[in-house]
Amino acid sequence: MSRIQTKCFGEMSYSQDSVFEFPNGLPGFEDERLFVFLSQPATHPLMFMQSLARSSVCFILLPILAADPNYQLSLSAEDLEVLRLSSARQPRIGTEVLCAAMVCTAGEDRPHPTVNLLSPIVLNLQERIGIQAIQTLSGYSHRYPLLARDRQPELAPCS
Amino acid sequence: MLIMRRRAGESFLIDGEIEIEVLEVSGSRVKLGIVAPESVQIQRKETQITRDENVSAAGSVGRDKIFSLLESVALGSTRIDVKTLTAAKPLTPKDT
Repeated sequence: MSRIQTKCFGEMSYSQDSVFEFPNGLPGFEDERLFVFLSQPATHPLMFMQSLARSSVCFILLPILAADPNYQLSLSAEDLEVLRLSSARQPRIGTEVLCAAMVCTAGEDRPHPTVNLLSPIVLNLQERIGIQAIQTLSGYSHRYPLLARDRQPELAPCS
Repeated sequence: MLIMRRRAGESFLIDGEIEIEVLEVSGSRVKLGIVAPESVQIQRKETQITRDENVSAAGSVGRDKIFSLLESVALGSTRIDVKTLTAAKPLTPKDT
């Protein structure tokens, strides 16, 4: 077990099994390639994606099906290749890949917390590789409110 | 918004030095070629949106936000049992 200084929980120990490589980094965080995924019973179902290199960089994630039970993930051929998955079909969420939405907590310009359904984090659990897979054609919102669960996903303001 | 009609093979210029050519049109897809100085940053709009949202999300993370966030999650997810969604994942970090 190694130890890491986390943004939210102070120093924690982690196993190498929970370290995922992001070969492309993330938009805005291109240099962050290794993240430790932390989950604890007390904060279930949230997960914490903590940068291994910078303790100040941490993202809160929610399993995508908890945010939208009907979520349809569509990975491009390039995404599947980076994740080392078969290009013949889409992977199954929960068994082959873990798919989670990034959470932005409420703040000055956001009355409610939102999740980014446009750009989910997708992890290959076997290979421990991750990407942020932008769902270009989906129409999913990048600011889907966590409270208004009965609303239909808004169309993203881009085409 | 300026609207311009162009066919495949035609192009237009922005500021005299950025050239955008329509290379191919097929169904709902358009293939564009862009010639621009190296200093001009070009990216898909959804990548820019994702970048901005990532920066906001990272900036919004704090220990003090987690409790109220858990309340929002509990309120919103009454329809499904989220436990079954994460049961299969082999993520095994240990709290100290």
